[in-house]
Amino acid sequence: MISEAFIPAVASLGSVALTLGLIIFYVSKKFHVEEDPMVTILNDILPGVNCGACGYPSCGQFAEVLVETKDSSMTCPVGGTDLAEKLGDTLGITMAEPKPITAVVLCQGDNDTARETAEYLGIQDCWAATQTYVGPKQCRYSCVGLGSCIAFCDFGAMRLENGLIIIDKDRCTGCEACIPACPTGVIVMQEKKAERYVIACNSHDKGAATKKACDAGCIACQKCVKVCDDDAIVIENFLAKIIQEKCTSCGKCIEVCPTKVNCILLEEDLKEAKQKKAS
Amino acid sequence: MKTFKTGGIHPPESKFTENTPVELMPVPKELAISLNQHLGKPAKPVVKAGSEVKKGELIGEADGFISANVHASTSGKVKSVKPHPHPGGHYAMTVFITPDGQDEWAEGLNTDPVDWHGFSKEDIIGKIKNAGIVGMGGAGFPTNVKLAPPPDKKIDTIILNGAECEPFLTADHRLMLESPEEIVEGLNIITSLFGGEARAYIGIESNKKDAIETLTRHASSKGIEVVSLKTKYPQGAEKQLINAITGRTIEPGELPFDKGCLVQNIATAVAVYEAVCKNKPLVDRVVTVSGLEIGKPKNIRALVGTSFRDISLFCGNLKESTNQIISGGPMMGKAVYTLDVPIIKTTSGMLFINNVGIEKARERTCIRCGKCVDVCPQGLAPWLLANVAQLREFDEIQLLGLANCTECGSCTYVCPSKRELVHWIKYAKALVNNRQKRKSA
Amino acid sequence: MESVNLKVSNAPFVRSKDSIESVMYNVALALAPATVMSVYLFGMRALVLTVVCILSCIAFEWLMDKARNKPNSCLDGSALVTGLLLALNVPANLPLWMVVTGSFIAIVATKHVFGGLGYNVFNPALVARVFLLISFPAAMTSWPMPAPFSFDMMVDMETGASPLGILKTDGVQAALASLSLMDGFYGTMTGSLGETSALALLAGAVWLWYKKYITMYIPLTIMGSVFLFTGLFHLIDPGTYASPAFHMVTGGLILGAFFMATDMVTSPLSIRGQLLFGLGCGLLTAVIRLWGGYPEGISFAILIMNSFVPLIDRWDLNDRKAENNKKPEKP
Repeated sequence: MISEAFIPAVASLGSVALTLGLIIFYVSKKFHVEEDPMVTILNDILPGVNCGACGYPSCGQFAEVLVETKDSSMTCPVGGTDLAEKLGDTLGITMAEPKPITAVVLCQGDNDTARETAEYLGIQDCWAATQTYVGPKQCRYSCVGLGSCIAFCDFGAMRLENGLIIIDKDRCTGCEACIPACPTGVIVMQEKKAERYVIACNSHDKGAATKKACDAGCIACQKCVKVCDDDAIVIENFLAKIIQEKCTSCGKCIEVCPTKVNCILLEEDLKEAKQKKAS
Repeated sequence: MKTFKTGGIHPPESKFTENTPVELMPVPKELAISLNQHLGKPAKPVVKAGSEVKKGELIGEADGFISANVHASTSGKVKSVKPHPHPGGHYAMTVFITPDGQDEWAEGLNTDPVDWHGFSKEDIIGKIKNAGIVGMGGAGFPTNVKLAPPPDKKIDTIILNGAECEPFLTADHRLMLESPEEIVEGLNIITSLFGGEARAYIGIESNKKDAIETLTRHASSKGIEVVSLKTKYPQGAEKQLINAITGRTIEPGELPFDKGCLVQNIATAVAVYEAVCKNKPLVDRVVTVSGLEIGKPKNIRALVGTSFRDISLFCGNLKESTNQIISGGPMMGKAVYTLDVPIIKTTSGMLFINNVGIEKARERTCIRCGKCVDVCPQGLAPWLLANVAQLREFDEIQLLGLANCTECGSCTYVCPSKRELVHWIKYAKALVNNRQKRKSA
Repeated sequence: MESVNLKVSNAPFVRSKDSIESVMYNVALALAPATVMSVYLFGMRALVLTVVCILSCIAFEWLMDKARNKPNSCLDGSALVTGLLLALNVPANLPLWMVVTGSFIAIVATKHVFGGLGYNVFNPALVARVFLLISFPAAMTSWPMPAPFSFDMMVDMETGASPLGILKTDGVQAALASLSLMDGFYGTMTGSLGETSALALLAGAVWLWYKKYITMYIPLTIMGSVFLFTGLFHLIDPGTYASPAFHMVTGGLILGAFFMATDMVTSPLSIRGQLLFGLGCGLLTAVIRLWGGYPEGISFAILIMNSFVPLIDRWDLNDRKAENNKKPEKP
């Protein structure tokens, strides 16, 4: 039974809705922002993470600038070579390939190897800890181990294991968001190569002090420098450093390094490197 | 009774050592003298391993305008100069001296007192600078810089800070009872630097009646007014002290000299007297060793560079139940992580405590009870600062008065949810500074 | 002596003995006189209702903590206080299943949905009360007459309208006749469990003020503004408008002003903010009482003002110490 009030109610509300709908339609047409359809296509291809690694604040801006300038040197490290190809195909130009880079933690001082100062019971954040004192680990150059950087990674490439940050090189896109997140500056970018050697220590303390603070620290004994045929290792301020351009990945330096846990790190996981040394 | 207008709390005073006379601690087996005992740049070492030094000899030279000299606390041989833990929590370059047991002063130092009235202002400031005097209340600001404010700032009020509002600490109290003449003379020297118009005050909290009486006896004839202040924390904070004694408010962004005031700690005044009249550099100080976990709480006079370990042994050893060792007072001090840290010129206290709450302390949500707003002496809203800091909104937090927090700890003391309000604020300040440094770099 | 196990934390290293529990349990203690009074006036039914309300609040809190994977805090006292306040806001003969529904709304829908303790915008007990009022108007407005020491479990409780209800329907004369002001003060009148005895409530409020858990800015401003507003209209037309004294002791005004409006989580933190909040609550209460559809306005008034509290906090704390504000440096 349709009561008397039904028709006027439906009619009045319906006409209000229709009017508002027409207004919205008109406004959307009148104030429509013209967007280059190419930009929309590119936006679909791009990762859409807005990490800023390319140098632009968002993927949208990257697309706009690329469409406008057709600059083939613009790269998106997150998308890698595949994305560069797709972008090139869409625009009809050959895009430069981004150099694959990954973040690396220059520290191997986990809870087993790094000596503790005292239990830290303040705000569990690396900045808060280093602001209070030297940190839960004796070495003041170390990875603090409270995981403040993890929240900065959009790609889930970082995890805290046994008091040390481990970066998954396969997930890391080189966006560099984690670098300013670290108070001690132990995270650096390294080129992704099949066998990458890097001195995973950040300590500029003299050898004796480093040894006291951590079993896995570089004591600058210079054995690696002497054994390297390519002059690829230098000691800077009591810390060894491998010059990547000269390194031929021969592995001689690893064999002579005396610290208990090898502080020259292969691209493999930490566990594998330990196994290799043990065998 | 005079007091500051806004906020304040009344923590238990715990002045266990207020009736214990200062005991002189003998020279320890090793001294670790930090080159960073003051605000500003650390001193540059002027000795190296193997150098022989006499007591009071310069071992570190002030580096720049805001810096201070550092002297050997006893005679002996320099063992090494290397980074070493500092009671502030980080590492600092430290000169290790092995005492030779003679405790012999360098020539011309620690003479019999002379009359300072003939000295010019430049002479006096020069002696203070050479002696490496810094603010001994805890901040460690170089005194020679503080006593020479910009010429356009006229100083009409000089205040000596005898409030000692932190619980446990009684070093200044004992100094007031045992060296009142030196204090008054030091204040006179300071006042003389500002012509005849400056009025001098000594502010003392009402819980130190004997000190008020002693100083009043010595000071009133010299035109110095001894003011009894209501016992309330943080009465000893510079801005609150000025507000209580003069009624003036130091606005955000201002320094005391903008309102014509100058504040110095009681111990600094004694050090000034000794530097000017006896040519004695700052090499020792009174430290209150207290807390429930130390064998014999007492006030000691110890050499700068004595380790916490040696002092704890001198005071009856610490108990096994100690779980925190505090350098300074319990409200604004620092928890040290090893007994091997040395005392520095600004270490007023050493507390051995068993902090039961610390194990269970788990920050809970802010229940907006408003207690922190009630007690903040600076009129801030600590709950909001901490919440915004936790959200990492570092642009917005600067609009909420972050820079005006003196980190006194009153808010954190009262919070029922045990939120680490001061720590969040310090964290935000560090990150804001870091950002500004990176932007200007 | 290397056996000492040192911990590093941040200053201050001494803390006051206060905790969330001590705050909440003290609030519950402050409500005890009113609760005792309610049991005296309305008998065992009141006690049963209060206990059921508290237990169901605690149970819902436990459930929500489990569901949200949070550490269990059902005994921290906040659920107890919510349960107690809700019980004091309903008539003694309310069916128990309605009481449990009210608890659900208070704990789950008003508190946990917004994030739990400290995050809710609206006062949980008040939202529940209003929800019950709107959903079950008949049950929520049939007030039992006071029957001191009665063990009657509601079988045939005599009911009647509250004095404010009479004021709305029958006018001033009838309302005044139904109540002597002394009755209103001591509480021997009809109403919800808690709104009757002004004396008991005031005693509790003074305890909370002494412990510095509440300030008097909000309650006194509410009472003052209600008094002045109703007083003004009473002067203009005494025949239509009841006296301000009548308004002060009837309805949940004292319960609302001293215990509901001062709820820490949902009230402003600065003095200016609290004064504004109190003024708003008082004026709205008076307006609703005098001309609104409902006889009692304090619940709605407080809820409306609760929604403004985040704004009041932002406005006031940004402006109060204008010299504390500093423009951040341009990047």
